[in-house]
Amino acid sequence: MTEFECRLKKYRQMKDLTQEQLAEKVGVRRETIMRLEKAQYNPSLKLAIDISRVVEATIEEIFVFK
Amino acid sequence: MKMNKMKIWVACGIFCVLSVLISSWYAVTFNDSRLVVPMDCTDYVFHIKDLPMIVSVSCTCLYVLSLFTMLFIYVKRKQRQVEETNITRKINPRLGFLGVLGFLGFVGFWTYPIDGRVSPFAFFLFFGFFGFFYEGKMSGTFMDERFRENIACAKLKAYRITFSIMFVALLVLCQGKLFGSLEYTLIAAIIILSLALALGLFLSEYLLYHYDHDEQADQGEA
Repeated sequence: MTEFECRLKKYRQMKDLTQEQLAEKVGVRRETIMRLEKAQYNPSLKLAIDISRVVEATIEEIFVFK
Repeated sequence: MKMNKMKIWVACGIFCVLSVLISSWYAVTFNDSRLVVPMDCTDYVFHIKDLPMIVSVSCTCLYVLSLFTMLFIYVKRKQRQVEETNITRKINPRLGFLGVLGFLGFVGFWTYPIDGRVSPFAFFLFFGFFGFFYEGKMSGTFMDERFRENIACAKLKAYRITFSIMFVALLVLCQGKLFGSLEYTLIAAIIILSLALALGLFLSEYLLYHYDHDEQADQGEA
């Protein structure tokens, strides 16, 4: 799997959202958000777009592929 | 299913069983046990006294057929519900105990020497029902994209293992007579196929639970 760095936690906290709230907004389980924040899950394009819309940051800012 | 509807179905079942019992008694007492004891049906001639037996058996067949139809409709409705709500179906983990039925496969070792029947060996397939235990534990889980990926991974791995076992079994069994008997080869084939399919059914559920559970354990440690 391609290695990447995920800065979701930073942007989520900037928007003052809990993992649960973010998960609910993008329609996934909280465990998925946890995995994403630990860069252990490579999301689909749709999920990446949904997350970027909720936290109001671009996909490139959230997910940094090495 | 509503309670009233359930009561009607149970009452119909009781009625069917009673009607068969009464018509059997009638046939044995007043109709020379026609249609009760095995008879040659090629030269069958209808007698009016056969009517109770024919009607009761027809009713029972109709009842069983409608039960299966209802079961089919229920399963389809549940599948549609799962697709619409994206939540796994609700199953009691205790259904996993049905896997114990797999031990019925050992009956084959008893029936084969007595009357040569090998079909009971297929009961080993029921070992796959142990998978309900893990499916039940994941009942009502929201299926997001990661969960669906895990489902696909678990199924793929389970099918790969099943396929490998079947492939090896095919290579071994194609050699011909096992212990000098073709019947032993057939028995071995039935046992291996049943166990491999049971393993496939079980593993797809177990691995899914394992993937999901392990990930949650990791998160707990973090």
